[in-house]
Amino acid sequence: MLNKTCKIYFSFFSFLSFNLFLISLFLIISEKSLIIEFYLLNLSNFTVNFLIFIDWMSTLFMSFVLFISSMVIFYSSEYMKDEMYISRFIYLIILFVISMMMMILSPNLVSILLGWDGLGLISYILVIYYQNFKSFNAGLLTALTNRIGDVALLMSISLFLEYGSWNFSSFLEFYNLKENMGLTLIFIMIAAFTKSAQIPFSSWLPAAMAAPTPVSSLVHSSTLVTAGVYLLIRFSTGFSENTMKVILIFSLLTMFMSGLGANFEFDLKKIIALSTLSQLGMMISTLALGSYDLAFFHLLIHALFKALLFMCAGSIIHNFNNCQDIRFMGGVSKLMPLTSVYFNICNLSLCGLPFLSGFYSKDLIIESFSMLNMNMYVYIIFYLSMGLTVCYSFRLLMYTFFMDFNFISLNSIGDKSEVMLKSMGILISLVIFSGTILSWLIFPIPMFIYLPFKMKILILWLIFFGIWIGCETSKFGLSYELLSLKNYNLSSFNSNMWNLPLISLSMNLYPLSVGKKLYTSFDQGWLEYYGSQKLLESFTYSSKFFQLLSKNHLKIYCLISVVWFFFFFFVDT
Amino acid sequence: MMKFLFMMVFLTPLCFFSYWYLSLFLFYLSFLFIFMFNISKDYSFLSYNFGLDLLSYSMVMLSFWICSLMLLASAKIFKKKDYYELFMFNILFLMFSLFMVFSSLNFFIFYLFFEISLIPTFFLIIGWGYQPERISAGKYLLFYTLLASLPMMVGIFFIFKSVNSLDFYFLSLNLDNFLFYLCINMVFFVKMPMYLIHLWLPKAHVEAPISGSMILAGVMLKLGGYGLFRVMKMFLNMGLKINFIFITISLIGSVYMSLICLQQSDIKLLIAYSSVSHMGLVLSGLLTLNLMGMWGSLVLMLGHGLCSSGLFCLANISYERLNSRSLYLNKGLMNFMPTLSMWWFLFCISNMAAPPSLNLLGEVLLINSLIIYSKLTMIMLALFSFFSACYSLFLYSYTQHGLFSSGIYSFTYISNREFLLLVLHWIPLNFLIFKGEIFSVWI
Repeated sequence: MLNKTCKIYFSFFSFLSFNLFLISLFLIISEKSLIIEFYLLNLSNFTVNFLIFIDWMSTLFMSFVLFISSMVIFYSSEYMKDEMYISRFIYLIILFVISMMMMILSPNLVSILLGWDGLGLISYILVIYYQNFKSFNAGLLTALTNRIGDVALLMSISLFLEYGSWNFSSFLEFYNLKENMGLTLIFIMIAAFTKSAQIPFSSWLPAAMAAPTPVSSLVHSSTLVTAGVYLLIRFSTGFSENTMKVILIFSLLTMFMSGLGANFEFDLKKIIALSTLSQLGMMISTLALGSYDLAFFHLLIHALFKALLFMCAGSIIHNFNNCQDIRFMGGVSKLMPLTSVYFNICNLSLCGLPFLSGFYSKDLIIESFSMLNMNMYVYIIFYLSMGLTVCYSFRLLMYTFFMDFNFISLNSIGDKSEVMLKSMGILISLVIFSGTILSWLIFPIPMFIYLPFKMKILILWLIFFGIWIGCETSKFGLSYELLSLKNYNLSSFNSNMWNLPLISLSMNLYPLSVGKKLYTSFDQGWLEYYGSQKLLESFTYSSKFFQLLSKNHLKIYCLISVVWFFFFFFVDT
Repeated sequence: MMKFLFMMVFLTPLCFFSYWYLSLFLFYLSFLFIFMFNISKDYSFLSYNFGLDLLSYSMVMLSFWICSLMLLASAKIFKKKDYYELFMFNILFLMFSLFMVFSSLNFFIFYLFFEISLIPTFFLIIGWGYQPERISAGKYLLFYTLLASLPMMVGIFFIFKSVNSLDFYFLSLNLDNFLFYLCINMVFFVKMPMYLIHLWLPKAHVEAPISGSMILAGVMLKLGGYGLFRVMKMFLNMGLKINFIFITISLIGSVYMSLICLQQSDIKLLIAYSSVSHMGLVLSGLLTLNLMGMWGSLVLMLGHGLCSSGLFCLANISYERLNSRSLYLNKGLMNFMPTLSMWWFLFCISNMAAPPSLNLLGEVLLINSLIIYSKLTMIMLALFSFFSACYSLFLYSYTQHGLFSSGIYSFTYISNREFLLLVLHWIPLNFLIFKGEIFSVWI
């Protein structure tokens, strides 16, 4: 039985999404964009507008977000049906979608902040949805890392004050030519990095997998994390060349790190989360190399197949009694055939199998990247991460779907839930076809690629190599002397995301200890001592002294009056 | 103006008859006052030493609103028959004196009622507080303010001697004297409270009953801001020279206070420290003396008044049920009060300046004004803004999330009165932002 709230919002969102898709088609054909300005505040020449910017990019993105979220709502009506307050969950998702809309629609920094803050907060609430310590900690890690981005955005707002307006799209290019916007855009970069979990801030994304799976599917794969990429796309005309290089280095490292980490991971959701991270790194590095439409193209397609991948994972986890460890799985392809088909299609699309949607974006990105004149380091890292993607995907496939069944013998695993299968089935059609459709839409003139044969074939080699390594690593009996235990430092370094979680978690010790010191030694120490207590002490002391005087002989009393008399006599003249 | 004064005076007999009627009439009074709103740069409704410009209007509005809500929040006193007649008289008297403070055009009348408003607050704390420590807390409240306010009286006499008038309109003394600056402003710094002289506030908050906490956080702190707005035009030259000292102290203080917030295990203490931290930002924005700082500090004062008062209400709602303010016992409240949990969330995020709340507008404007003042303030502002999110989320998630305390025996659900109380805090907090520019008119 479907929940009523789910039904309403599922139909409403899918309707809206379809309409927005049509609008974006119209805007692509007519090459128009619409700007609506709401006047919020002004004081002399300082104006705050709420800007709604409707171009093909924002409407297309919105239609995708709405489509995925409608599917997720439909899916969670089954997945979350045992929840007591399922409508609370649905309303949270709707609030999330609304803040995403606000973020997408407005290229004004202040009104972006509205959506941006909303995204962080609602995702926080969604991560701590389950009431256990793991999700509590993960939620705070998520929220506070995102808060760094909010603060960076706030700071850049105040720095943008120098340029006279927060409608950055209208003058970004102009200022970039005339002067360096340095610090302002560095803050924007930090904000985007926190949302998209790039390297110094990437520990929150795998941790956020403590959220319910529909949330991971919507929030931590297709929408929230892409908000950072979207912000960078909107700002891409403003970045100077050096900033772009910094962005490139960080995003490449993220891509490589997460691809490597995914090969060590045994948690089903975390593997997918790390793969999201690596794809985000790929989008941002594509962006940093200057082709922002390719990055956007990949963003949309990635959103589709990653959302579906999470939904399939959720379905599998649901059947395995909330067990997420892939070592307990295996042989799922026999038990849940349809889900496995969906999962495989998504995974192959992630690897870039020809004519699935991921192929169109990834292949284009790789080949246009090869045509650039980059140095060897960037080239090698980029290609290696491509290979790693294939590697962990195949390792995951082998572990979950093809190897022996490892779960407890008393189980009831199967493709039972119609609602979940339906919602995944609707998405799978788009996962297959959206690549071609979007490539026709976004690139009316096909890109011209001209490469020597060896460079062209290199990616294919790497993919086959990745498949081979992936299949090999999934074998238990690869080596009876465990290599990972032999090289313990290296393997723990790689599997812990290069110690990033350690860095961000051990950071909280310092403010807390400083706060404790401040509390004990200032508020309850020095300030109390020199504030009230000192006053009390000196008053008691002096009143005692005067009491002593008045208890004394009359002569002394008179003498004091005489002294005071002389004092006033001389002072007053 | 007289009609409000007389209405408050003649409401006095009602104090001794009915709790609900008085509550009703206080709201009636607030709404009468709301309908008087007009956007004007200058003083309006002038009569016999009283008048309102937009600054005074919004502060009077805030104090009427908070006073009415105070009565609504403390129905427990009425139910327990805990001298509720005197309590209501106290609130009415407080309201009266706050009205006089904010609407008087004369500096001396301002000063007089500034002091008088301390007395009902003091009585609230020592009369209806909970622990024996309330006596010392009351003393802290009185003497921190008194110690700094007597120099202000001397300063006022000095102004009268040199300007021959104490009307705010004529305060145009431009005296470059540090001592004079301190004499006049120190009391406002104490009242705000600035870091280093804030000790009275957490103590008073912890010991005060809910009504006392609400009025302290909601209006009494804003008295300092209001006073600074009024007198700062005397210190335009002096302010340029030495305001940076106080800006630095209060900015660093607000970061320190937010670090201290993370250490608290008492909900009320946490909220109290968070209000010190926010008022530090208000103070520093105000002292920059630029347009945006003035605007932002008024907005943040209003926003913070509503928000922290609402947070205290929430703390009190769970205190009345669990008889504890400790974070270790107030846990997992979401499991049996899910609706209240939403309100906790809404107020906590308003406290960390999330959209759409007046706090966000205020903080954006204040950050802008401070960064215009000096780019170096960015470090402190960033830390402040980050840690304010830390403690707000800490407060929310620690109280609402997880396993509830097993010591809870019986429990009553939230009444309509309490929901009304929260709604009436939240609506002005989140809807005034849509016409936020009216707060810039008076500058």
